[in-house]
Amino acid sequence: MDITEKLTEVFQEVFDDDTLVLHNEMTADDVDEWDSLSHVNLMIAIEIAFEIEFNQSEIQNFANVGELMESIKTKLSDQE
Amino acid sequence: MTIENIAYRSLTEKCENGNCEKEIIYWINKDLTETRFSYGYFEKESNKIANVITRLEITKGDVVGIFLPRSPILINCFLGILKPQAISCVLFSTLGEDALLDRLGNSEARIVITKKSLVRKILAIKDQLPHLQYILVVDQDQHQNYFILSLNELLNDAGDSFEYEHFIDPETPAFLQYTSGSTGKPKGALHVHGAITDITQSFDEVMQLESEDRYWCTADPAWITGLSYGIIAPLSNMVTNYQFGGTYNAENWLKILKEKKITVWYTAPTALRMLMQEDESTFDLIKSNSLKRIYSVGEPLNPEIYHWGKRIFGVEVYDNWFQSETGSIMISNHPRLEVKPGSMGKPRKGIEAFILDDDDRVRPADEQGYLTLRQGWYSMFRTYYHNEPAYQEKFSGEYYITGDLAYKDADGYFWYVSRSDDVINTAGHLVGPFEVESALLEIEEIGDAAVIGVDDPLLHKKIVAFLVLQKGHSWDKALELKCRIYISNKVSTVATPSEFIVTDKIPKNQSGKILRRVLRAVYEGKDPGDLSTME
Repeated sequence: MDITEKLTEVFQEVFDDDTLVLHNEMTADDVDEWDSLSHVNLMIAIEIAFEIEFNQSEIQNFANVGELMESIKTKLSDQE
Repeated sequence: MTIENIAYRSLTEKCENGNCEKEIIYWINKDLTETRFSYGYFEKESNKIANVITRLEITKGDVVGIFLPRSPILINCFLGILKPQAISCVLFSTLGEDALLDRLGNSEARIVITKKSLVRKILAIKDQLPHLQYILVVDQDQHQNYFILSLNELLNDAGDSFEYEHFIDPETPAFLQYTSGSTGKPKGALHVHGAITDITQSFDEVMQLESEDRYWCTADPAWITGLSYGIIAPLSNMVTNYQFGGTYNAENWLKILKEKKITVWYTAPTALRMLMQEDESTFDLIKSNSLKRIYSVGEPLNPEIYHWGKRIFGVEVYDNWFQSETGSIMISNHPRLEVKPGSMGKPRKGIEAFILDDDDRVRPADEQGYLTLRQGWYSMFRTYYHNEPAYQEKFSGEYYITGDLAYKDADGYFWYVSRSDDVINTAGHLVGPFEVESALLEIEEIGDAAVIGVDDPLLHKKIVAFLVLQKGHSWDKALELKCRIYISNKVSTVATPSEFIVTDKIPKNQSGKILRRVLRAVYEGKDPGDLSTME
């Protein structure tokens, strides 16, 4: 399973919506339930799914899904 | 005696008086582009909505739910529902299935207007909603089946004129506003068309807007503030009204204030506290701005935020107080009243507020007691829908008991202290502990649960959950995530606990009532006091 598929599964689980399809420009404005509180859930879910950790500034500063995806890729490659 | 239908006062009357072309709502899209809407636009579009729902046999007194994020179509729906004297019920689009079921079930809504991405939440509970006949989907071009209909397809066949009674009995039900109590399910405060009198008068008295003002209310219309002061009052009083379709983002909000030359801004302490977390340089953007005043509502505006707001924005910050039940501002600071930082201000004209003790005697100045209001104002709720006993419990004789503790100083200013019940005010949202605990207990690993509100520098109160795990389960990050996601999706994101504490036992009295004061004391490291009633 590649990163996009896995991240899609995480989003679908966190927002309880099997129809969610990710794209790089997607932001919190595009998902009804994505607010500052559910964002915390999303970050915890990603940390568990990918076995990575985000610091506080990273959590607050992802502009869109594309940036989030890039950050996950970088963290995973740093682990290798 | 009759009074204007709220929709007549907000729209039709304006068109009759030659203001049909007047642009009144300046809608700021998520990308900060702007679309302007005139009275004529809202009048015609709400007429179409009225035609659609009456064709679906909605009549006076039927409830129609609006489960949409803030948008121009939400405004059309709200006013279109009021025209045939049906009852509107605007619901937060972030509500989870359980919370939605409580509200749609209690209101017996016959129609829910929503968007495609939210339909799944209604379908998940539809079998428990025997009164629900149709879901109207705003962003779907064709009917899906007999139950899920495309609003666009219905609108295509709907005329843009609608005959309705402009002057009606002031006691005609208009809208339901759901609020949480310390026990039991959420309660629907029912408001009547007569509320228009208080909503518009309070807007004039407190906001004191002039014709050149540019007003921005950040509240969602599912909140009483967003409905009364984001839609009804500014439309009725012909105020240039900015609305933002996006969510909180410091840079965007500051850009709106600056670029749209907002003069009067109505927001919430949590929003100001979130802005306060930004680097001071962020505010260079608005060093010169058009702001004349800021108003704040929803939670207490503590002096620290007050002084910060005044320093950063260079204008006065006026706190005010009201509730879903009161329908309009009851106690307020405003330009004709010297501000005492941290105070709620004074009751507005015609409102009588008291601080009472347990025997309904007025407390002396500076002594804490129950904040109560003498009943009788126009925008007061008329009942909790289908729950009259809970409504009656809110009154002691002629007094409405607000559920807040406060004190009044010798100069007549009121000062908020806390809730007198277990309801948690988090970021301006009232959350009932029962709703969260019930949802937590649905999780198989959880044996018992209790939630409390504790002080938080950002949210005013944060929700802390105490959990007893079922035998054989242990607490880890994955279980925490499971609890968080479950509450977010079943109740609401705002109801998600910020903290979970696993314990061996939840303290309860002999009749099984959770002793929250003991949990609060344990959390704060204080003496829990008398434990003689503990089980």
